Amino acid sequence: MQSQRPTFQIQLLGDHAIVYKINTGQLKDIDPTLLAFTQFVMNEKINGLKDIILAYDTLTLIYDIIYFDSNPYLFAHTILEAFNASKNNMVSIEERSIIEIPVCYDMSLGIDLQNAVKASNCSIAELVKQHSEKIYTVYCLGFLPGFAYMGEVPNAIQLPRHPSPRSKVLAGSVGIAGKQTGIYPMNSPGGWQIIGRTPIKIFDPTSASLTLFKAGDQVKFKPIDLELFHTLNAHEDVD
Amino acid sequence: MSIKIIKKGLSDRIIDAGRFGFQHLGIQPSGPMDFLSAQLANTILDNDLNHPVFELHFPASVFEFEEDMYICICGANFVPVMNEKSVALNIPIKVSPKDQLSFLQPIEGRSCYLAFKGNLDESKKWLNSFSSFQTTLNKGDHFIIHKVPEIAISINPFKQNTIQQIQKNLFNEHEIRFIPGPAWNDLDPVSIQKIMQSSFTIHAKSNRMGFLFNGPAIHLSAPTEYLSSAVTMGTLQLLPSGQIIVLMADHQTIGGYANLGQIILVDLPRLAQLNNQCPFKLSITNVQTAHQLYRSIQSWFMH
Repeated sequence: MQSQRPTFQIQLLGDHAIVYKINTGQLKDIDPTLLAFTQFVMNEKINGLKDIILAYDTLTLIYDIIYFDSNPYLFAHTILEAFNASKNNMVSIEERSIIEIPVCYDMSLGIDLQNAVKASNCSIAELVKQHSEKIYTVYCLGFLPGFAYMGEVPNAIQLPRHPSPRSKVLAGSVGIAGKQTGIYPMNSPGGWQIIGRTPIKIFDPTSASLTLFKAGDQVKFKPIDLELFHTLNAHEDVD
Repeated sequence: MSIKIIKKGLSDRIIDAGRFGFQHLGIQPSGPMDFLSAQLANTILDNDLNHPVFELHFPASVFEFEEDMYICICGANFVPVMNEKSVALNIPIKVSPKDQLSFLQPIEGRSCYLAFKGNLDESKKWLNSFSSFQTTLNKGDHFIIHKVPEIAISINPFKQNTIQQIQKNLFNEHEIRFIPGPAWNDLDPVSIQKIMQSSFTIHAKSNRMGFLFNGPAIHLSAPTEYLSSAVTMGTLQLLPSGQIIVLMADHQTIGGYANLGQIILVDLPRLAQLNNQCPFKLSITNVQTAHQLYRSIQSWFMH
């Protein structure tokens, strides 16, 4: 049977990385083939492969030059052929469970809320409703350990990044940048518009899984009040 | 035995070759700025190439040693002194209890490496690496070193050759070579010319995350939005301001700015050691050449 799988385009990123770009056109959700390919490469434990990085429509492999005596294109094709011949070359993304994240959208925590409602020309209640009713997909992790790029934010409440980043955004802060929403895993400089804060830890260097999210997860935000936020607050740095 | 920090430097840390295998979670490798000097310091002490070392920036920390041990200083020359008596770079140095090592002034280079003989206590390890995770050395920090059987360490002709080759690579003038990236062809032709013909210097605001270039303003032919994709050490990004930034050892794992290209691995140590006032030029190379150069450099470390 002829498969309908999308195809990959192979590019080299300098002298120690290979990029697979999937041709899907519109990226409405994470691509199930790209997700399956990521899992395949992780499970294969290929000699000389130092890291793999999934980002929206690309999968990048960081390799150690010393292990490569051949053309990296050839190597890239060999991995892709092995994947295409494997049985698990599709991940069902319909059966994903939804991770619910409590978020307090109080003005004291959502320090850009006032600005956000002005820019999107709606009430705080409307903005919270729009942000928390949607089910988001985690496209990838990056920027900071455990930081999940989630999308897509409804059109009406999309906000541009701050022109220059704040020097300190608190761990757990929930932000919007264009079509994306995300949670700061630790105190860090950052340019996203902060509309709330979650009391739970999304990155824990001492836990086995390290991060709460992984690429492909589904996430929904649940509004909570300030009192419950303080009861649940797991962040060490509380102002 | 142990090494103690008795005065805090600007931003010193412990590093090894880096923390790999976790970038899919957004966890950066945090390896050395100049892997050649780190490897050289370890080679001189007959250590494993990936043995943890201290990476120092000026003004650097002051160290105190608790017991006899061998150390070695490589990379940038910050005029190291032991108990106020000057000591040389690129040789094994035997320290005695209560010896204090400090650094007087930056003469050449930006990153200095202090290697030691002995094994760092495993409690300092996280996710298979000793590389600091968002922490720098502080006054009072105490590094427990487990002794290894002592043998006299000396410079042999092999090490002498390795030292010369690496010094030549780090501090001789040559162009910084790169391989064009996905956004290279989106540049306007005048900007391509400017990149190839101009001299650049490193902006004072540069750090371990990235080096900003001082140079002519660079533009794309047309404003373009890019979907974020993986970046790595050496990735040349074009900022909306028209400035070029090259990502260094504490780079993010993914980025959304125009990706102009990738500086080849063998030229990253030289770039990492360039002082702000030193002009440099960029030139284009290819993957085959980059791989050949990398292999020949790694062969310097093999007996």
